[in-house]
Amino acid sequence: MDKKFTNVLISLVVILAIFGIVMFALGTQTIGPFNFSVDQATLVMRFVFVVLGLLIAFAVYWFTRENAAWEVGTREVVWMAIGAALYAVFSWLFNGTVFVVPSLSQVSLRPAIAIPMFFGYAFGPVVGFFSGAVGNMFGDALTGFGLSPQWSIGNGLVGFVAGMAMLFKDKKKSMDTVLWISGVLALLTVVLFFLNRGQKNALFFDPANNIFGDATISIFAGVAILVGFVLVLAVRFGFAKNEDIAAAVTWGMLGNIVGILFASLSDIFINGFSLAAAIVGEFLPAAGPNLIFAAILVPLFVGAYAAVRKQSGR
Amino acid sequence: MLVAWRFRKREKSFIQWFDPRAWIRFYLCFLVSTLAFWDVRFLLPFFAVSIFVLATSGVKWYEMKRAFLFIVGFVFFFAFLTFLTGRGGTEVYKTEHLIRQLKAPFTILGWTPTLDITVERAFFGVSQFVRVFSIAIMTILIPYSLNPALYGITFKGLGLPDNIAYAMDLTMRFIPTFGRDFQLTMDAQRARGYELEKISGGLIAQVRKLGPLMVPVTIHAIIGSEDIIDAMDLRAFGVGPRTWLDQLTYHRRDRILVAFGVLILVASLVAGFWGLGSFWVPAQLLALAGR
Repeated sequence: MDKKFTNVLISLVVILAIFGIVMFALGTQTIGPFNFSVDQATLVMRFVFVVLGLLIAFAVYWFTRENAAWEVGTREVVWMAIGAALYAVFSWLFNGTVFVVPSLSQVSLRPAIAIPMFFGYAFGPVVGFFSGAVGNMFGDALTGFGLSPQWSIGNGLVGFVAGMAMLFKDKKKSMDTVLWISGVLALLTVVLFFLNRGQKNALFFDPANNIFGDATISIFAGVAILVGFVLVLAVRFGFAKNEDIAAAVTWGMLGNIVGILFASLSDIFINGFSLAAAIVGEFLPAAGPNLIFAAILVPLFVGAYAAVRKQSGR
Repeated sequence: MLVAWRFRKREKSFIQWFDPRAWIRFYLCFLVSTLAFWDVRFLLPFFAVSIFVLATSGVKWYEMKRAFLFIVGFVFFFAFLTFLTGRGGTEVYKTEHLIRQLKAPFTILGWTPTLDITVERAFFGVSQFVRVFSIAIMTILIPYSLNPALYGITFKGLGLPDNIAYAMDLTMRFIPTFGRDFQLTMDAQRARGYELEKISGGLIAQVRKLGPLMVPVTIHAIIGSEDIIDAMDLRAFGVGPRTWLDQLTYHRRDRILVAFGVLILVASLVAGFWGLGSFWVPAQLLALAGR
């Protein structure tokens, strides 16, 4: 086994071990009305989805293992830590109770999601995965929401897929493919929304009005993914000459769709949700607003980072 | 600059008497064991352990006042909310025995606010409070008691490879640093007239306005990382097996602590396997409900 293979394999096994320890320790926690409780059967299912998420990451690595994007050296170790810590801190600040960022028409603002997208794109899939998965785990722990391991892996996949941009030589061609795939997936999920208008928004909590995921999903929350897609399109073609910004946003979008879709679909098996409940009740209210963040905040990060690199010459 | 958690060496601290690896192992056993039960009779020993550890931790009240009040307030608030709404408890009980129904003397658009006080809701709230409080107390003490200089060697000692142990070490160290950086950035932006509390406009405008907070903190972190990377490279990080400045040594008391943790874990899992420790309400309360 070469060193790179060993590094990636060890990283994945270790992440699995961390999740194994943490989820069996905290994965059954119920905090008040927020239903994070899991019986033993679903705990095993959650672990199965953690393994499945890691297998997806490993399969992508296996087929592209010659690529330099998989190197894990000193820089990657530090960036992993920075990405995870920033994601945890921003999650705690914006998703928790420190700053109550208002939600609009059931769309709560989660700006922290831009961190794994940016770190994945800028520093590679391994850094993106660690930032998303470990950052989400620490963020949840700090926020006090309890832990949901398959959602942490989903967040890891957001950064991982964003980092897959490094695996393709022809950035432009890969971006167009990603746009098509993302567009089709977004459209399909919105069609499902219009076929299930009475579906509850499982992610909308409003203690002041005694709403805990039982309000019917609003039209804006349902179509936010299309709004985000249009914004991404605008960035893709508006910044056609700045390939980095266009690619970061486009790959961030696919990462968001794949990662959140993975986490939402896992709830079909874990919590017994129907497909409509998983897609309309969970995926759309989470992935839609995330796309809006991808389109607005990720270009700011990429632009600022490019300026720093230019200045430092690294 | 790294900002550390509020750790300091404390005289006669029970937690600090042990090797941090032993304490983390015991802590994980404690967590899993606590989560195996909903029966308050089974949870009370864990509650007692957490109170004992808190009392002997050597952490002063003024040091942990804010964090403690926040956590206790949070746990109490959600336990009370569960009592009011009954949500969350339906996972562990199916039937409810009504003690009293309180109806508001007014209606809101034809709806009369009603509070059903049931035996199960009330006792589920109590069980939930005891359960989460025990875990929260044990968790909150860790940053006050675990030396940040030992994070890396502790993770390594728990079996993680050097790279990941160090990444986890750095992640834990960076969290308070970036929290502090965020506060500084927000103060600086406020001095320029930026007001997060008055963020307004549509969704896109609101998101855009978060940029002046998030971008400087992130970019500053990345710029700062170059110094850390250089320092690590100069010390040949990753070239061979890592050595650690501090060495941890297991003593007899550490082995006893781990053995005790494993013992309560096994006992809890066996009890859970036999169906013991599931949600319980006192017969006297059920009698109160007229059953």
